[in-house]
Amino acid sequence: MSKPLVVFDKIQKHFGTFVAVKELDFEIREGEFLAIMGPSGCGKTTTLRMLAGLEAPTQGDIRLNDRVMNDVAPHERDTPLVWQSLALFPFLTARENVEFGLKMRGVDKAERKERALKWLDKMGILEFADRDISTLSGGQKQRVALARSLVMEPQILLLDEPLSALDAHLVIRMQAVLTDLQRELGITFVYVTHSQSEAFAMADRVIIMGKGEIAQIGSPKDIYREPANQFVAEFVGRNNILSGKVALLTNDTAHIATPSGDFTVPTNEVRLIEGHNASFVISADLVHISLSDPNDGNKAQCKLISEEFVGSMVTLFLEDAQGQEFKVQMQERELSKFDLKSGAEVWLSWDTASAHVLNES
Amino acid sequence: MKQSRSLNVILGIYVVLVFAFVFAPIIFSMIFSFNSQRFPTIPLGEFSTEWYQKVLADPDIWKAARNSLIVSFSTALIATFLGFCTAYSDFRYNFRFKGPYLALILLPPTIPLIIMALAMLAWLSKIGMSGQLYSIVIAHSVLTAPFAMAVIRLRLNQMDPDLESAAWNLGGSEWQTMRHVIVPFCKPAIFSSLFLTAAVSFDEFAVSWFVSGLNSTLPVVVLEIVQGNIDPQVNAIGTFVFLISMTLVVLAQVFFASRQMKSIKT
Amino acid sequence: MSSNPDSRPNLYALTWRLPIIFWQLIFFVGPVLFMVAMSFFLVKNYRMTEAFDFVNWTRMLTRGFFWDSYWYTVVIATASTVCAMCIAFPAAFALAFRASESTRRWAIFLLIIPFFTSYLVRTFSWFVILSESGVVNAMLGYIGLGPYTMLNTNFGTLVGYMTLTLPLVVILQTVTMANIDKNLIEAARNLGCSAFRTIWQVIIPLSKTGLIIAAIFCFILSFGDFVAPFYLGGSQEPTLPILILDTTKSGQQWPRAAVVAIMMMVTLFAIAFTGIALAYRKGKGAK
Repeated sequence: MSKPLVVFDKIQKHFGTFVAVKELDFEIREGEFLAIMGPSGCGKTTTLRMLAGLEAPTQGDIRLNDRVMNDVAPHERDTPLVWQSLALFPFLTARENVEFGLKMRGVDKAERKERALKWLDKMGILEFADRDISTLSGGQKQRVALARSLVMEPQILLLDEPLSALDAHLVIRMQAVLTDLQRELGITFVYVTHSQSEAFAMADRVIIMGKGEIAQIGSPKDIYREPANQFVAEFVGRNNILSGKVALLTNDTAHIATPSGDFTVPTNEVRLIEGHNASFVISADLVHISLSDPNDGNKAQCKLISEEFVGSMVTLFLEDAQGQEFKVQMQERELSKFDLKSGAEVWLSWDTASAHVLNES
Repeated sequence: MKQSRSLNVILGIYVVLVFAFVFAPIIFSMIFSFNSQRFPTIPLGEFSTEWYQKVLADPDIWKAARNSLIVSFSTALIATFLGFCTAYSDFRYNFRFKGPYLALILLPPTIPLIIMALAMLAWLSKIGMSGQLYSIVIAHSVLTAPFAMAVIRLRLNQMDPDLESAAWNLGGSEWQTMRHVIVPFCKPAIFSSLFLTAAVSFDEFAVSWFVSGLNSTLPVVVLEIVQGNIDPQVNAIGTFVFLISMTLVVLAQVFFASRQMKSIKT
Repeated sequence: MSSNPDSRPNLYALTWRLPIIFWQLIFFVGPVLFMVAMSFFLVKNYRMTEAFDFVNWTRMLTRGFFWDSYWYTVVIATASTVCAMCIAFPAAFALAFRASESTRRWAIFLLIIPFFTSYLVRTFSWFVILSESGVVNAMLGYIGLGPYTMLNTNFGTLVGYMTLTLPLVVILQTVTMANIDKNLIEAARNLGCSAFRTIWQVIIPLSKTGLIIAAIFCFILSFGDFVAPFYLGGSQEPTLPILILDTTKSGQQWPRAAVVAIMMMVTLFAIAFTGIALAYRKGKGAK
């Protein structure tokens, strides 16, 4: 889990005057499930395509197993990709699709067939082996696409938003299939997505990209609890972001004066200067709610605007007198104790340790 | 648009009349071909296969038919090859002077055939290639390649643009990808193009007449007959040619449409 | 779009790019340029010799018969275009706005058929139908009219031109008008536009580009056709294509034929460019 399999060394990619990737410097570790996430146009797909050799970096080196890959043609790399469009060959059957890569590599007919069938079986679609691609369902096509890449027995598998075309319930199923496969095979997965839930559910590490740059690399938990900057905090969502000026600085805490009041935050490693602007976030699920003034600590009096239920979880949207928005996430049965109506006045509070100061960027 | 019924009826009748005008010569030609009169008119003469017998007994017409088949078959192969290359280049690459490049293949149909005929005759004579069957093939390939290009380009438009990259990604070189992905994908369009260009070539008379020398094709024979006098053999030949052309066109349609349906479902 | 990292054309790229370049340079650009060059060649004793002489140009362009023929061809091709556009419009209108999607598709399929029937045979058929004792005069005879002379007249020529162009013009007009956003027409009608005003002020401006292209094609086809004026018009007044035919086939005067051909091409290019410029000019807005 530690040796770097792939190194992106100061990679830049320009399309004419358009800069798709400003500078990328990161490693992909052997055997990890890495998700690259960001809004559309952030350069995540370009990054993946560069790794597959479908785009050439304008500057910098990409190394795979210490070998510089820049001038290696796509078909000479061993970096199979699962496409967003799936890109299955419509004129071939499911089995012929899976055999395609082996055929290109000159594997003989009998072995091709055997290996293809083994993978179709593993993906649970053996019975569709001789069906035309157009007759398969979305989920089945997805599995053919996975089998087609995995039959190559690669060290690394690239996935470009592979689940974006599936129905919500299938997405959850396929997530489980993917994580199980990755664990079982022990190969590296690089998974590009714009969906936070997919990335956080499956990945060991997540790279958040914005405007052609890495905004943060870390475990899903790190990124969720301790977003590095405002961009990540906003992109991840489910966060309360408060901005103000640093009023008082002590050893390991700071007071930040915001229009909504003064709050205490841990300084962590962020350099704060008295009188300068600062922002901090509190995850929505770390905010407590009460009907009476909690007296001391970080608190804010708010009015309930609306609620949103997802399963047994509920998110409350609130606003204080200054117009600052707050989000609170809790179990539905917890909320029912309060019996809140829209427009109700409540108090929010949170532990100082729950707050996380952002780097200004 | 809501509109009075009567106007719709009038428009309907009008459309039928326009179609009647368009199809009158085709239908009458077929009727005349089975008519005993040399100068067919109403009332029609007796049913007769005389003209067909005459046509079938004429060795010159058999020779012309053979020439026509050879020419249209060869033209179809060359034009489709050229059309495929150009369509693929246009689909896959961006390069300087792409506008003039495309104009090179697309322009010939906009030039009147009589002018192409003169230019071809003069040039092919100059380089010593006129008066042969292959002279017609060359000229027809220039004239029909744009149709081949259009048909195949449309098919490539339906291709998932990731398909080619996917084949490279799975270890296929560009050549392997061409053979195992692009060509199979374009196969229905390639067949359409073969039939379509063959049909166009089979009917063309102006350029053929100029460059063919003594190797007349069927339409050239028709032209020569027509120049003489009224001879209903023409109707018999026309009906034959019509059947052959329509078979080719329907085959082209079937290939293109059925695959199109299939790919839409994909 | 699939883009290769290597933008320099490699062997593979050139394999697909070059065939058409070579083929069309040798067999399309070559003939056309040679024809231009040929217009300066000399013919002596029925043999063409390469030269650079303006005599063919001066001979042709100073002769009355050339200009008579030129203007006659322009006028009759224009007449053909006007006729075809006017005859086709109500039919295309009906097919575009009154017919169902499937009727329209069938109609277009039917209109493609004539392209694959021999134009010569169709012309010959008209020749028989329109003749003094032909089908049309026989039918008119039943109601006590005629016989009329239709062959060897401009009417005959126009019938031939219509045979050639009408299917294409109807197809192009129908497709163009069927692509108009129906909501715009509904809107115009709701705002109280009469049917005719809707056609003039909404439908025609919106389908301007397609209509002009249909007209250009119609003109090119009529302008370059020698069959209709020859067999149905009797070439009383020879059109330019007939002039080319005569000078090439009988007189061996290829250079003079080349002059005529170049004059034709220049005329066609001028008309096509003007037409296209008109078609793509920003309209005053379809209000």
